Amino acid sequence: MTHDPTFWLLARSSGFTAYVLLTLSVLAGLLLKSRPFGTAIKAAWLTGLHRTLALAGIGALAGHAAALVLDTTVKVSPLGLLIPGIVGYRPLATSLGVLAAELMVIVYASFSLRKRIGARNWRRLHWATYGIFAAATAHGLAAGTDTSRPWALALYLGAVGAVAAATAWRVLVPPLPARPPRTPRLTGEPA
Amino acid sequence: MSLYRIQIDRSLCSGFGACAEVAPRLIQLDRSGNAELRVGETDDQAAIEAAFSCPMGAITVFEAATGRQAA
Repeated sequence: MTHDPTFWLLARSSGFTAYVLLTLSVLAGLLLKSRPFGTAIKAAWLTGLHRTLALAGIGALAGHAAALVLDTTVKVSPLGLLIPGIVGYRPLATSLGVLAAELMVIVYASFSLRKRIGARNWRRLHWATYGIFAAATAHGLAAGTDTSRPWALALYLGAVGAVAAATAWRVLVPPLPARPPRTPRLTGEPA
Repeated sequence: MSLYRIQIDRSLCSGFGACAEVAPRLIQLDRSGNAELRVGETDDQAAIEAAFSCPMGAITVFEAATGRQAA
């Protein structure tokens, strides 16, 4: 009997999908704070996009996890999805994937808990996103079986380059100052 | 009585500044960069926009007459 590649294909494609969605969500979050496009892009719209992309990324992660358990190419148990170090295949790289996925869910959930944990702690927790992105990149590069292909390398390079550029913009360019309120000029006041 | 009453949860404000951008007559940033109200009540629809623009959901707008949440 030949091996059915359906779940293996799904596992790889959903992994890439989750990575792209995570990257786009990180970029939207960075743009939200640094606002390089000024008021051309509404903050409310960008906030919604940021959160939707993160949620879609978590959905793709769930698909990635389910496909890996259902597939037989790499032996992954349900427990291996939750506890780093259990999966026998490239244990360090798969552990990074598990940790990145768990942190991503925690950071996403923290928005709903922001009143309870406070804005300062919420912001501190959000810094973990840089670690999540780095861990996800390392996981994809080291555990992914498509890494040697030029399109996969281009995707990782593009994602890292875009996040690095957006981070540099945020650090180097001061945020958009809020417009001072326009007060009506009194008649007779010198211009 | 004005149409809207604005409330800012300053413990949630993270200084994104979007509110002061869309409603500069109603909200300003203080010295630490956090949002503070310029007026408590207003008829200005920018109050609704400010609430929607806040990434942290720190701004709530109520209908002044009924107390019902408008945004």
